[in-house]
Amino acid sequence: MREIETQVVVIGGGATGVGILRDLSMRGIPALLLEQGDLAHGTSSRFHGLLHSGARYAVKDAKAAQECIEENKIVKHIAAHCIEDTSGWFVYLNEDDPGYLQLWLQGCDQAGIPVKEIPLEEAFRLEPLLSRQAARVFEVPDATVDGFKLLWANVKSAEKYGGTYRTYCKVKSLWLENKDIKGVYAEDLITGEIIQIRSKIVVNAAGPWSAEIAAMSGFDVHMLKNKGSLLVFNQRMFNRVINRLRTPGDGDIFVPHETVTILGTTSQMVDLPDDNQVKEQDVSYLLEMGKDLAEEIELHRVLRAFAGIRPLYESEDASEHEGRGVSRNFALIDHEKRDGVRGLVSIVGGKLTTYRLMAEKVTDWVAAKLNVTTACRTAEEPLHHEPPADVWNKARQLIGAAAADKMMERLNEEAASVIAAIEKQPELGQFICECEMVTQAEVLHALQDPAVHSLDDLRRKTRLGMGTCQGTYCTYRSTPMLKDTFGSWERTLKEYRILLSERWRGITPVLWGDQLRESELARALYLNVLDFKAVESEE
Amino acid sequence: MDVRNELTARLDACQKCNVCTAQCPVAKVNPHFPGPKGLGPDMERFRRGQFIPGETTLDDCSNCKTCEVTCPSGVKITEMILDARRAARKGPHKTMPGVKLRLRGYVLGRAEYLGKLGVLWPGMANQALKLNLVRWALEKGLGISQKGPLPAYGKPLEVIEDKAGRAGVTSGKQVVYFPGCYTRYNEGETGRIMIKVLEHIGYKTIVPNFHCCGLPLEANGQFDKARKNGLYNLELMRPYLEAGVPVIASCTSCGLTLKEDYPKLSASAAQMIGAQTYDLFEFLWLLYEKGELPLDFQQVNASFGYHLPCHLKAQGIGTPALRILRLIPGVKIRNLDAGCCGVSGSYGFKAEKYDKAMKIGSPLFEAVNVGVEQGDFQEMLTECGVCKVQIQHGTSIPTEHPLRILAKAYNIIHE
Repeated sequence: MREIETQVVVIGGGATGVGILRDLSMRGIPALLLEQGDLAHGTSSRFHGLLHSGARYAVKDAKAAQECIEENKIVKHIAAHCIEDTSGWFVYLNEDDPGYLQLWLQGCDQAGIPVKEIPLEEAFRLEPLLSRQAARVFEVPDATVDGFKLLWANVKSAEKYGGTYRTYCKVKSLWLENKDIKGVYAEDLITGEIIQIRSKIVVNAAGPWSAEIAAMSGFDVHMLKNKGSLLVFNQRMFNRVINRLRTPGDGDIFVPHETVTILGTTSQMVDLPDDNQVKEQDVSYLLEMGKDLAEEIELHRVLRAFAGIRPLYESEDASEHEGRGVSRNFALIDHEKRDGVRGLVSIVGGKLTTYRLMAEKVTDWVAAKLNVTTACRTAEEPLHHEPPADVWNKARQLIGAAAADKMMERLNEEAASVIAAIEKQPELGQFICECEMVTQAEVLHALQDPAVHSLDDLRRKTRLGMGTCQGTYCTYRSTPMLKDTFGSWERTLKEYRILLSERWRGITPVLWGDQLRESELARALYLNVLDFKAVESEE
Repeated sequence: MDVRNELTARLDACQKCNVCTAQCPVAKVNPHFPGPKGLGPDMERFRRGQFIPGETTLDDCSNCKTCEVTCPSGVKITEMILDARRAARKGPHKTMPGVKLRLRGYVLGRAEYLGKLGVLWPGMANQALKLNLVRWALEKGLGISQKGPLPAYGKPLEVIEDKAGRAGVTSGKQVVYFPGCYTRYNEGETGRIMIKVLEHIGYKTIVPNFHCCGLPLEANGQFDKARKNGLYNLELMRPYLEAGVPVIASCTSCGLTLKEDYPKLSASAAQMIGAQTYDLFEFLWLLYEKGELPLDFQQVNASFGYHLPCHLKAQGIGTPALRILRLIPGVKIRNLDAGCCGVSGSYGFKAEKYDKAMKIGSPLFEAVNVGVEQGDFQEMLTECGVCKVQIQHGTSIPTEHPLRILAKAYNIIHE
């Protein structure tokens, strides 16, 4: 059995986990992050992509609102390349509750969220699809955030400060001796090897899996697993985040995210942390709800549906037990205080917008335990440095402005080598994924990353397969590269199958109209031209 | 009401099949061109609502519309690209080459004014355009290729006002003729023959004092001017359209603009223009189908190769000229079906595009040369003026508007 020694083990490679890894590393505390899958495979990528201004919580959850607006400003500063500063609108419809409107305005004011009313005519001009039922429109500093980019940027920054991480490494048990944490036992899911990791502190930041981790040693962390389903539309329908100005409910936020629009969400309690299959009734329900903000929404092409699990924390004294009623605040559970175990801390609840603050609180706690006095700097130090203008210009010249800008945002400091490769061998500049304009050079670069173990990992790193055709063309186009990386034709086929099944899972609930046509084309391509065998559905 | 505009709806229809790119004449010869799908629906998803400065490949599209003809999902690809160009012009970046290209766009877009100048003294204008020094200056100063086949000027086509003064009141049948700048200033003779042919078949022709249809302006980034021209021309046509008088175009690009772009303008006549505009041979074929086309043809013993202009293809009416000419005893005509000639309006006149345009046209040139060598035909026919000039430039084979053959058969011209 392999043994590793470090100071802190962080369990969970979501936004909170990587935020903690970065903070620890910046304070000079050696740390290792363990993730059972790929980074951001869970809640951190299965959300709206909304950087909250806090306005959504202004009435019900003043603390969450205040944290959101503060973190909103910080994240916009430290992670500019992951953010599109779209601003957001809260739209008050004709039949909506005027009482709520007043409370909301007061709440925003108290939380320090700047609100500006947009004249209706102006609003309809700027967002032509906005429902004509809109009566008043208010602008707040919402923005959109790319969960993948944000996580990668945190990890890369942590690595610079000496932090380490392992993906596909699943914690099997917590290692306790006499109520003292000694570390964890984990399994490398790629090699099957069991690893013993010795550490002084273990941080449980496993999101929806937090309860499972705590339960390994018999501790009860009462998590509510709340499933939120979302729809992805084929194009940008709005250029701002569009919220409905009412008590937060289902299907009342549209987020323009990169090339698509995301509508969500639903709210439903589930038992399993990975129950993320969207059902057809969720889809029709969301479309029905979405109609209030965008009429004739059913005319727009839906690419896929996906779901994420909100890890809501239910403190013991909580009087409310319904999904939307539970606070979006986070809680730090010191298991020494609660369960008498030294060195174990769980961080639960919260939301992506406040990931950095959660990380700061946890790291403060860890630092105090380890007698480290270095202060937190994550609110000031940007996650990346803008690549030099000449690299940027070269990229735009070689692969076109739209593709270059997106690639530079994904790769930033690593972009220079990719650009150089294209410059040397111009054919590497051709797009493997045309929908999202991902070049062959970038795919080759990503495949060299030791953390990329599969085509699906590649998708998360590059956006390959995330566009209109949902992997129809780019999957087979990446064949020679996959074969070189993964070694065998059988393995390449397996990678195809995993990626296409994953895409298919999201497409099936929205199989009508243009997306149905696309799927038929994909089926013809894979079943007839490439002679794939269809697997019978279990249903 | 569908609040989405057509482009939005059609963007959703794109299946990413790349049929358009496979057929794109520019993509065939330029490996760096992202192709109609790339430049159109792919990038459109990135462009929606946000301006991406510095997209240089936008100007590589020749606006031939082959992609739109090919698309199985009805995506308005060229329109998306033109829209993006329109947005790009409003963008901030102004560089020296930018200024030169804008000036060129101004000049090439103004076929009408150039025509008005050229016809003042056609002999001199033509001689000047033959001077190496002049062509060198045009290339250096404006980026207009030294080698490109700029069309020559001739005796202009006269405006024929409606004598009766009120549209539709005159007894007998009449048509409004939209000659287009090429016929008006470079090849007035074709227009005059057309009027005689129409007279022969019983139609009186009215030629109002139209401006340029706007297509060259659009293709060269002069969007506002294009719109103004459209509105002006529509207003001239309005009384005739209201009286149900058909509008005839002999230039395929003008015809396409009248059929496809004018209906989008905000003017009352825009509602009517699409349904009332006909390509000349389309109009003749409809008459033939109704049994109204005089068939008093003389024998014309000649063989021709035929090139179908891209903008006629885009009208989706097939090849009416072939159908009509094949009614004439003695005429043998072969549709070469060899793709775009490359010049596509003013694209092939641009210095940096000239070589690509010639490459695009090379399959056509080869088909023409082979046909002539094998004795299949001695002459080429095509409706589009610049296609004609380009075919002659690429092959030295005489090329005519098919109308001339019809005129011979009707005994209107004799050479």
